[in-house]
Amino acid sequence: MKYILMMNTMKAGTGVPAWPKKDLQAHIAFMMSLNKELHERGELVSAEGLSFPDQAKLVRAGKDGRPITDGIFPESKEFLAGFWIIDVDSPDRAYEIAAQISAAPGPGSAPLYMPIEVRPVMSAPPQEML
Amino acid sequence: MKYILLMSGSKAGVEGYQAWPPKDIEAHMSVLRKISDALTASGEFVATQALSGPAEAKVVRGEKNRVPVTDGVFPESKEFLLGYWIVDVASPERAYAIAGRISAAAGPGGVPTNVPIEVRRFATRESKSK
Repeated sequence: MKYILMMNTMKAGTGVPAWPKKDLQAHIAFMMSLNKELHERGELVSAEGLSFPDQAKLVRAGKDGRPITDGIFPESKEFLAGFWIIDVDSPDRAYEIAAQISAAPGPGSAPLYMPIEVRPVMSAPPQEML
Repeated sequence: MKYILLMSGSKAGVEGYQAWPPKDIEAHMSVLRKISDALTASGEFVATQALSGPAEAKVVRGEKNRVPVTDGVFPESKEFLLGYWIVDVASPERAYAIAGRISAAAGPGGVPTNVPIEVRRFATRESKSK
């Protein structure tokens, strides 16, 4: 069964690039090693990092169907920072991987304990909606 | 350049959608399928995915005695990711135009839903998708 693991960040919390270089390198090395392990176990479907919230836009269709973009958000708004799609045997395995990501090292190699949202992925829309 | 278009909604919003008349749901799905077909034809389509409803969402934060700490009780108003489209386009404006079309998909009675679609650029130069 497929799950998506989502890592969120607040606009105000995008200070990652300001971490000391060695802490940033240790964090990235941890993520790369975890991705390699998930890939070797055949559990990794995809993993992506998104650009920072300062580049995010919210789009709504106008009356004429043209896009209306908005890009001003409160500092406290949460944004998706990146995600993993995994194919695992049980929800417990998905939670286990999410906990590993949650405990990724931050400044001074202390675990970050980031909240990671875990959701089953639907392989197709439910029949009653087609 | 790759962009992800994120559609979010609250538990109440999802329940409202499930209560639409079947023909309105069919018309809505049909517009979304046409958008996916057009993106496939233009070579801009990378992936699209619907997620299970907020009722199945869990947030994992760290571990206690090597057991992941999960939380699954959220306020009714909390917004969750419902689904996404990944597109590979020539410009941000093209990504906004696609988001505008998704936002303008018809809802009950053929009225555009105008749901907000968050548009984010991928931070990775090359997709790690397999």
